[in-house]
Amino acid sequence: MKKKVLLMGKSGSGKTSMRSIIFANYIARDTRRLGATIDVEHSHVRFLGNLVLNLWDCGGQEAFMENYFASQRDNIFRNVEVLIYVFDVESRELEKDIHYYQSCLEAILQNSPEAKVFCLIHKMDLVQDDQREIIFQERQEDLKRLSKPLECTCFATSIWDETLYKAWSSIVYQLIPNVSQLEENLSNFATILDADEVLLFEKATFLVISYTERIQHRDVHRFEKISNIIKQFKLSCSKIGASFESMEVRNSSFAAFIETFTSNMVVMVVMSDTSIPSAATQLNIKSARKHFEKLEIPMGPQRGMGAMTAK
Amino acid sequence: MLKPRALSDVLSQANTGGIGSTLLLNSEGSLLAFSGFGDKDASAAGAIASNIWTSFQKSGQLSLDDNKLDCVLVECKLGKIAITKVANLLLCLCSEDGVSFGMLKTKITALSSYLEEPLSQIASS
Repeated sequence: MKKKVLLMGKSGSGKTSMRSIIFANYIARDTRRLGATIDVEHSHVRFLGNLVLNLWDCGGQEAFMENYFASQRDNIFRNVEVLIYVFDVESRELEKDIHYYQSCLEAILQNSPEAKVFCLIHKMDLVQDDQREIIFQERQEDLKRLSKPLECTCFATSIWDETLYKAWSSIVYQLIPNVSQLEENLSNFATILDADEVLLFEKATFLVISYTERIQHRDVHRFEKISNIIKQFKLSCSKIGASFESMEVRNSSFAAFIETFTSNMVVMVVMSDTSIPSAATQLNIKSARKHFEKLEIPMGPQRGMGAMTAK
Repeated sequence: MLKPRALSDVLSQANTGGIGSTLLLNSEGSLLAFSGFGDKDASAAGAIASNIWTSFQKSGQLSLDDNKLDCVLVECKLGKIAITKVANLLLCLCSEDGVSFGMLKTKITALSSYLEEPLSQIASS
């Protein structure tokens, strides 16, 4: 199953950096060496086994942008599932950015009217802490207004913190076909385990694809924080030639188990009843594996899938 | 799958008439479930019990050419212990000194036959 995802935005807004961090195991610092993207860079990212995200990272330099709307219009904007438009929060040319954005929307409306639109207000780390919420709300309002009749979902992001994961998790979540089935099963799983919450991460990117919460938690940003932390840890492990398998974190108030679950997913189980021995939870996770393997996207016709192209 | 709290409840049914605590261990000696330990460390007891079982099983294999160890009964200074195999796990009952071996053996046999079927299902899954 192939899903086409367009990544567009002005030159230097951060599209390739984002893509490299989420899909190509770059750490934020590594993105410094990325140069300007020439025309469109195609990458096929395998996600959850049989879902292939066909990422079109469109170079943002003006010459290319003009081209997209003119001669390449149909080619680029047809069959799009998701459009991700990246705005550099520090841009001095807001008018121009909006103009290009609207041209994209027009093309989408004509060629892929069912596409979901996401706007990422990027490089938020360059904005002062106390200003962030205000600026984001302002931009969000403007964008929602300008996007009509299409609906857009906005996120404030930065490659230097977990906000990037939140945005991409939400985007990718929209593309998973059997998400509600996954969630139902996850919920049953959590009830049997007596767990506070259970999360499912995609193995390579560590984006949260599903979760179930039996007990409310006050930090709504915990998922992306966890994604960020574990991904960094996983990358450090690979640097010394070890592959991340599992982790148990325990203190007096909780026990958390992060285990490789299926061939494409990693599960995290959080239990606040610390009297339940670890071995019991681990045994249950092991027993549930087969069941969740079956739930993964059913095998479609196998075609030659290209490997991830990275700079 | 195991419901941890339900399993604990079942194990606590054995904790009457002098039997203080019951535990269930996996093949590696890690604690799977326990009942009745209060604030004492159940995992230490589990590790010791598992160790005792494995040594007896190994020696049985060597000296008697028979590794079908059924039950180990241990008399300690301040109490008695019974260990037996259930599915692929170990069940262990710890009692005070006043409890007789006959009673201990009866209880552990009853509990293990009760748990045998459900635990085998989990072992095979």
